[in-house]
Amino acid sequence: MRFAPPVADATAPLARRNPVAKLAAAAVLSLALVSTLDPVTPALALAAELALLPLFGMRHRELARRAWPLLVSALGVVVGLVLFAGERTGEVLVPLGPVTVTTGVLTGALALGLRVFAVALPGVIVFATTDPTDLADALVQQLKAPPRFAIGALAAFRLLPLLGDEWEMLTMARRARGVDPGRNPVARLRLFASTAFALLVGAIRRGTRLAVAMDARGFGSAGLTSQTGEPSRPRRTTARPQRFGRADTVLVLGAVALSGTVLMLSIAVGAFRPLLS
Amino acid sequence: MSQPTPHQWRTVDIVVASVLAVAFGVVFWAWDALWNGPADAIPLPARGIIYGVWLVPAVLGPLVIRKPGAGVYTELVAALVSALLGTPWGLIVVLYGLFQGVAGEFAFALTGYRVWRWPVAVAGGALAGAAAALLDIVNYYPTYASDWKWAYTGLLVASSAVIAGGGGWTLTRALAQTGVLDRFASGRERVAV
Repeated sequence: MRFAPPVADATAPLARRNPVAKLAAAAVLSLALVSTLDPVTPALALAAELALLPLFGMRHRELARRAWPLLVSALGVVVGLVLFAGERTGEVLVPLGPVTVTTGVLTGALALGLRVFAVALPGVIVFATTDPTDLADALVQQLKAPPRFAIGALAAFRLLPLLGDEWEMLTMARRARGVDPGRNPVARLRLFASTAFALLVGAIRRGTRLAVAMDARGFGSAGLTSQTGEPSRPRRTTARPQRFGRADTVLVLGAVALSGTVLMLSIAVGAFRPLLS
Repeated sequence: MSQPTPHQWRTVDIVVASVLAVAFGVVFWAWDALWNGPADAIPLPARGIIYGVWLVPAVLGPLVIRKPGAGVYTELVAALVSALLGTPWGLIVVLYGLFQGVAGEFAFALTGYRVWRWPVAVAGGALAGAAAALLDIVNYYPTYASDWKWAYTGLLVASSAVIAGGGGWTLTRALAQTGVLDRFASGRERVAV
């Protein structure tokens, strides 16, 4: 188990922005796209997203590597709609009884397929260009997330590479003891499940020890009440300041403007079909 | 330093909930690949029978940690971790994590965080499955026939009740038996041999 390091150029103009600003921008765009069922809006948004990709320091090939499973998703949605569409309006193209293909069905299928991509890509781009540590710091400093939870989650996330090593060790130890499932798929599955369980037990044990070590360094003292009954809230400073500057505001406003433009264009050409009508 | 009240989170609660969330974030990420890969051989809506795995933390978190917010926190962080590892669905999975966590937690909140038996776990799993179905239908399948939508919802609820509810409860018992949960009320109920 090895996880890929950040795949983008971290110094690119938009990749450098505050993680909270990037998340907000992606959320605005995604939600705007969920609101409509026409094919024009997601197509326009997709074009804009792909055009902006270089500003995030990400190559198109890298995006394709991360997003290709969506093709399967989108194809499933399209085929599913042709088979199970709620209404079959428009001109009949292929008369097949209950699964008659009409222009309405095809437009709807195209719209849903494009929507899968357009809604997902902003988030995929943002997460690919964001470092988990920066994200945790920004969540605490800009969104005022509870620091004990954000740092606790970050500590657990940083155990991941260790868990990868431990998985290899468990596997080797079992092999050394002569535990071999051979070619029997059921035996393989059982061995996999028991190794995964052992890994989880080890991870929880490691987490428990980590919590003791964190408490010993004063991690948990904030928010609990002291012996005198007074809430003890030590003043904490931040080790890694995250700044939310003018450029970050511009990014969020830009996302709002882009969503507005895309929706306006689709309304202007008469394609817009609201989700709740 | 005095003892925290029963509903306050200790450091060990936060770290172990996070460890569970990270472990299931990896599972989510693998399940994403399965859903968009080999499992595609099973056509929708029948593929929904494997859906329950995405909802395990919403039930496992409360069962192990037994604090208000454990379901929301564990499911949300697991979704966030799967996004950081590179889920193809992007940011929307964080929204899913939030909704599913709230739904799973709801069953435990209804008992006032006092009952931790299997029926509550199964109810939590079923509720989380219903939340996931609702989001999926709004997001991916809005124009499908209503029969299809009901079948999909039914499958997701059943899958989540069994895998997330029953599975989460079984996994908690198994973890308690190893002694690794001894710092939690959930681990102190084990039968000493």
